Amino acid sequence: MSLSFPTMAAIRFGYGFRPGEAAPQSKDELIGQLSKGAAATPDFPLGGPDMRHRAILSLQAQLKQIRQDATTVTDDATRREMRKAVQRQAQQQFQHDVNLRLMQAVLSPYGFYERLSTFWTDHFSTSANKSLPMRLIVPLYEAEAIRPFISGRFGDLLRSATAHPAMLIYLDQADSLGPESAGGIKRNKGLNENLGRELLELHTLGAGSGYTQADVTAAAMVLTGLTIDRKEMDIAFRPNISEPGEHQVLGVSYGGRRRSREDYLDMLDDLAVHPKTAAHISRKLAVHFVSDQPNEGMVFDMAAAWKRTDGDLTAVYTAMLDHPAAWQNDGAKARQPFDFVVAGLRALNAGPVNGVVGSFLAANQQGTEEGDMAANTPGMAGAPVTTDPAGEARDKRLKAFRTARALGQGALRRMGQPTWLPPSPAGFEEGFSAWITGSQLAERLAWVRRAVTQFGRDEDPREFLKSTLADAARDETIRVVSQAPNKVSGLTLVLASPEFNRR
Amino acid sequence: MNRILLSRRGFLTSACCLAAAPVFTPLTFAAMPGDNRFVTIVLRGAMDGLDLVQPYGDSGFAALRPTLALTPDKGLLDLDGHFGLNPAAAELMPLWKSRELAFVQAVSTPYRDQRSHFDGQDMLESGGEHVAEERTGWLNRALAVIPRSDARKAIDINTSTELILSGPNNVDVWASDSNLPPARDEMQFLARLYAGDPPFAEALAEATRADTASMMIEPDGQRGEKTADVAALAANMLKGDYRIASFSITGWDTHIGQAGQFKRPVQDLAQAINTLKTTLGPEIWAKTVVLAMTEFGRTVRQNGSGGTDHGTGGCAVLSGGAINGGRVLGRWPGVSDGQLLDDRDLMPTADVREVAAAMLYRQFDVGMDDLTGKIFPGLGFDKGSQFLKV
Repeated sequence: MSLSFPTMAAIRFGYGFRPGEAAPQSKDELIGQLSKGAAATPDFPLGGPDMRHRAILSLQAQLKQIRQDATTVTDDATRREMRKAVQRQAQQQFQHDVNLRLMQAVLSPYGFYERLSTFWTDHFSTSANKSLPMRLIVPLYEAEAIRPFISGRFGDLLRSATAHPAMLIYLDQADSLGPESAGGIKRNKGLNENLGRELLELHTLGAGSGYTQADVTAAAMVLTGLTIDRKEMDIAFRPNISEPGEHQVLGVSYGGRRRSREDYLDMLDDLAVHPKTAAHISRKLAVHFVSDQPNEGMVFDMAAAWKRTDGDLTAVYTAMLDHPAAWQNDGAKARQPFDFVVAGLRALNAGPVNGVVGSFLAANQQGTEEGDMAANTPGMAGAPVTTDPAGEARDKRLKAFRTARALGQGALRRMGQPTWLPPSPAGFEEGFSAWITGSQLAERLAWVRRAVTQFGRDEDPREFLKSTLADAARDETIRVVSQAPNKVSGLTLVLASPEFNRR
Repeated sequence: MNRILLSRRGFLTSACCLAAAPVFTPLTFAAMPGDNRFVTIVLRGAMDGLDLVQPYGDSGFAALRPTLALTPDKGLLDLDGHFGLNPAAAELMPLWKSRELAFVQAVSTPYRDQRSHFDGQDMLESGGEHVAEERTGWLNRALAVIPRSDARKAIDINTSTELILSGPNNVDVWASDSNLPPARDEMQFLARLYAGDPPFAEALAEATRADTASMMIEPDGQRGEKTADVAALAANMLKGDYRIASFSITGWDTHIGQAGQFKRPVQDLAQAINTLKTTLGPEIWAKTVVLAMTEFGRTVRQNGSGGTDHGTGGCAVLSGGAINGGRVLGRWPGVSDGQLLDDRDLMPTADVREVAAAMLYRQFDVGMDDLTGKIFPGLGFDKGSQFLKV
């Protein structure tokens, strides 16, 4: 081990150091974060899961009302205004959730658990851009379908992610019907193989692992029947749209004359413990945490742990941490934008309780965009009720809100990694070269200068260097920082340094 | 021009030399005659070529796509009596009429039977014959073998490097709305900070080069991120020293409600091509070829939800003042029973890599051996290629 254990644990397996928070001292402590993290309620979605379920139903009802009104209200401008008001509300909630998601990562003491949550949300990618209700559903998806399951069996995680409305909507499963099913014949509609394909290619076995187009089609057939109840915005299984008959996926037959929920659950369970799934996801974890070219022995050990335990993820993570390669070649990976922004805010987050960053972001949760202020009408459960101050206070609040957004979601968007908005079902890019480019560096420098100006007033660059990088700081960085022309430059150089952008 | 900008200029002319050789001088900024340009546009998500360029003259087509197939009396823009253009691409018709636009139907990479976007795009961009055979992009490898060294300058307009231009040869990557903050004296410290870490040193040099170039083009620093902005920045870079540019247009994965979903990316594509033409101006446009291509086509039959799923044979789009267009190229395989691949996909009758190879050959005199060996391994391509006659 080249660096001390706490440094590697904080930087490679967490979101970096935060002043006042003790870094993990042992592997047991890192693994111990998993149960603690899973037991804690995340800061998002705004108002909690129950309130969010109600907000989604309320949004559905409002959208339905608009559709109904469309037959009686003939005035285009009025209809447009009604639609815009609903859109603004949903967009506003999404902005709040995105801020809360960022704060969750900054403030949680369970960095390894948080990093894994980000990993799995990306592995089972869904995008809030798919439709208006998805702005409200995707944050809920991470909170209720991903986070509680990431330290247990992969099979349970696969079931919960696959059968969540977010996934069913994102990969068009909600619109897939068995072509020969009663419902399919009646409505003259049929199969949509999107989820069936990504289930095999991305979520389990992995591309190029040997399945065929026939397996994809059959998997999509087995999934027919799994859909959403649009009124309740909840998952449903409807035998009348489920393709009858047996369907062979990787040589295993699912279904029969009468189709049931058990068929697709059996298929998911089989896929979850398939050796190719174990190999694919073990490698993906190793690539994400340790190296773009991971140690083959480490991947083998992880897949073996998967096989031994039928996919117990804590055992797989333990196998990764137990391998010596997990603690070698520090800085082999590039911090992705979310990792970089969270680590930067954590580094600057000195002060009592939630620190300066936490207090700032929390205060700005009540602020909102100018255009949205008019939209603070009651009606949507979970929407924050804010008063509309006039004059100076309002301007100040607006400015602070904009700063918060620029440092959070605005920066992540410019850096190419906006929260819950991945470019494709494969999630965000992983490799070093994708993230360390000229424009990426320009964005990072702009972000650092802004963050340092906002939060770094009381920091001494030399002290900041020690608390942020500990023994990861190179001699050259120590020298350059200590000679910086002014304090802001010194702090900027710490967060712009290669070792802060690597992990 | 305000003061901040003046000081910024001052910074750029002095500090950029620290990190990188200055690439722009007033002398080289003007376009030099005789220099061809090449733009690639990667259409990510598997563009439905049968929706863009519809074979309405094929008697089997309409029945396979009850709600997607159009005819000239339903708005389809007739091209040649057999194919018609989707009305969302109406803004491309003037180019078709002036023979600056051509389509290549039924093309694909050698990728078969798996239909993964990600593998499909990797193959399209790496130029190999098998998945993961090549780790670098074909356009990057081409840079090394372009005979004229001053034609080897390429820019990737994106926030992160795309595979097509990734590789050992130097390529600048720049997002259309990026700005290097005016760091002035800080630049020297950054250069020292990165001196011992090559990838970071190169990223800083790249940022400085591209920022300098884009500052010269748009001194007010106002750049957007819409497709038209991306195309305008690409064109402006090509008016300077750059000879090759690449960018992407997304939004083609139309599994559902395609009739509505397809419009936006098609309009983006039309706008990108028209923006390239107007921004480059007639002289440079006359030396330019634009190749838009996608990883694979979509199923010939529409699916159960008014969309299409992943298929094989697709369509490539060629445009530019340097082509002899106004034609739909490629060998049409038909869509009747027995003519489809796996009874679902448009049968590919040509390799899309051959189209790319032909353009590299015409625009930059890249040698045949290099094209079929280093750039597109396993590709059958010679001087008889139909695509050399475009």
